[in-house]
Amino acid sequence: MNYLKRSRLYLVHKKGQSLLMLLIMSAILVFVLSGIIIQNAAITATNNVTKSAGTTISVAANRDKMFSQMRSSTAKTKTLTTPTVANTKIKKAGSLSTVAYYNITNTASVNASSFDAVSTTTGTSSMPSGGPGGGGTTASSGDITINGVSSTAHTTAFTSNQAKLVSGRNITASDANTKNVVIEKELATDNSVKVGDTITVKTTASSAKKIKLKVVGIYKAKTSSTSMPGNDPSNTIYTSYTLPASISGTVGKSSSVTYTLENSAKEKATTKQIKQIIANSSFSVSSDDASYQQLLQPMKNVQAFAKKIVWLVAIAGTIILGLIIILSVRNRQREIGVLVSLGESKLHIIGQLFAELFTILIGAMVVALLLGSFVGNKVGNQLLAQQQTTSVSNTGSTSGAPTGTPGGGNMPAGKTGGTLRGGMTNQATTSAANKKALKTLNTSITPSSVIKLGGMGLVIIALAVCLAAVSILRLRPKDILIGE
Amino acid sequence: MLTVKNLTHWYGKSGKPLYENVNLSFTADKVYTIVGASGSGKTTFLAFIAGLDKPQAGEIFLDGENIEKIGATNYRKHKVAIVFQQYNLLMYMSALDNVLTALAVTASQHKNDKQYVLDALKGVGIEEADAKKNVQQLSGGQQQRVAIIRAMLVDANIVIADEPTGNLDDENSAMIVKLFQDLAHKHHKTVIIVTHDTKIAQKGDVQIKLAERQFMVS
Repeated sequence: MNYLKRSRLYLVHKKGQSLLMLLIMSAILVFVLSGIIIQNAAITATNNVTKSAGTTISVAANRDKMFSQMRSSTAKTKTLTTPTVANTKIKKAGSLSTVAYYNITNTASVNASSFDAVSTTTGTSSMPSGGPGGGGTTASSGDITINGVSSTAHTTAFTSNQAKLVSGRNITASDANTKNVVIEKELATDNSVKVGDTITVKTTASSAKKIKLKVVGIYKAKTSSTSMPGNDPSNTIYTSYTLPASISGTVGKSSSVTYTLENSAKEKATTKQIKQIIANSSFSVSSDDASYQQLLQPMKNVQAFAKKIVWLVAIAGTIILGLIIILSVRNRQREIGVLVSLGESKLHIIGQLFAELFTILIGAMVVALLLGSFVGNKVGNQLLAQQQTTSVSNTGSTSGAPTGTPGGGNMPAGKTGGTLRGGMTNQATTSAANKKALKTLNTSITPSSVIKLGGMGLVIIALAVCLAAVSILRLRPKDILIGE
Repeated sequence: MLTVKNLTHWYGKSGKPLYENVNLSFTADKVYTIVGASGSGKTTFLAFIAGLDKPQAGEIFLDGENIEKIGATNYRKHKVAIVFQQYNLLMYMSALDNVLTALAVTASQHKNDKQYVLDALKGVGIEEADAKKNVQQLSGGQQQRVAIIRAMLVDANIVIADEPTGNLDDENSAMIVKLFQDLAHKHHKTVIIVTHDTKIAQKGDVQIKLAERQFMVS
């Protein structure tokens, strides 16, 4: 082990050279560590995005099929019938391990009875509302939309901040089979209704029935985006999905459901499983992972860039160190010759070089651990900010396009057409994705990144020493030490 | 005993021998001096007997064993010690560490024995304070004495020196020659000194003159 002692003596004697090597190796390792921790942070963020992106699978009426059935009907008055699926099937699909939660949606249209509906255009409060989705159906002619859900907190309107609870509480699964409702603030103010009050609505059927509803919460809707004449968003009352079903006479059945996934990566497999469980051709099962994809792409780009940093710095570092050591070996030929003349094996001489570099590596690792987190944080966040900007500008140019994707099953049917729904959903998705988008990367040095750094450092010095070893092995002691 | 048998050597593809069929023997307790003009091939000969190079033909035996069989690295490590004109010390070490390194590399009996080395260095006029200084801070004569102590303390029985007084003044040269004589006469080693200086050559117990491709023993 004499070569270890020699390496120590050499480093101590050549302080300036050792310090220079320490600086070079520190610079290399700081960038390698930055790359590693950015990569790790991006991987963690990608995993988090996969879990929290909220990819949804919507089961909703197949509108093409609905219209074609209506047109092929031989009845005198053609009626658009919304298909339903048994709640047992919906719940069975909801119990899949990949589903985080689900939101059943049923809608019904009623008329205000003990209060007045909000009207945005003179005389529209009593006009039959309903867009293309509701045209021709007697069930959608009321001035109030009863939007039955499993949980208001999970509806698109609430998750995208289009609606916000301002008083009372949300509708939850425990409100099933009750007549508890959450009404809009304007509707509540206009009619002096408070949480705890009871309001009455009438069904739109020819033999109208009155239904007493208990107000358990008040929400505020942003009306600007969806306001249409005679179709004010304030007239949407949220309740449990069981109430519209009982009004429509479809107890135990629902017209649409949105499943939110635990893990966005399982979107395709889960869609397939849900299709099999629902097994109803009148329904279309479609997934919306736009938010996931929008959040995922910047992470993937950061990850790929960080990987390139690690490799480029490692390769460049190996070459730089290798060349420095080769030059150093040329300057140390006489020393090597003396050792060889003493009978020292060339492997031990290479071992001494390795030990010297290893000692410097330890010092450089300390420097890298002190600076790496700071540099990684700065570079990583700069990179992320750049990627987020690129991602937002890309999606910004496509959001609002009439893609026709279902609005998570949470938009009141019969209120808006498919095209508009699609556009609105994209805006909501972009907004939700922007809200969830990571603003900063959580770059921290973990034991595994230290091990990785150590491993990379060892490989770099091993390769550099191997490069230098070629010139050591070729040295002939006679040529170095004896010249006539 | 170191024996050279039928050693023949020529440079490159010229085919013209530097020397031909050289037969020499070197025994313990004696100082051998090899003297010759520059370019006569005396240092090349030293490289052969030191195991630093191989001749084109012929064999070298140590106590009846071919040094090729011993292996060049093993031969240099355990059997032979070399003293160079340029001292060839490790410049990043003290005199003490230089000698201790040689003892460790050659796995000699007194490895790790600092006091033994310090005493030996003191014996050639290098006090402990100087022994612990970096060798670059020592004079040429002191450095050469360190190199000789390094050759003396390792377990090797053969000490080969290449122009050991080439860079020294007369006073230091005399001291160095005395040290080599002590190595042979008191430490029972075989000392072979290659020199172009006839005065130094005359100090040898056996003088070998290399001229016109012939080694002449006197």
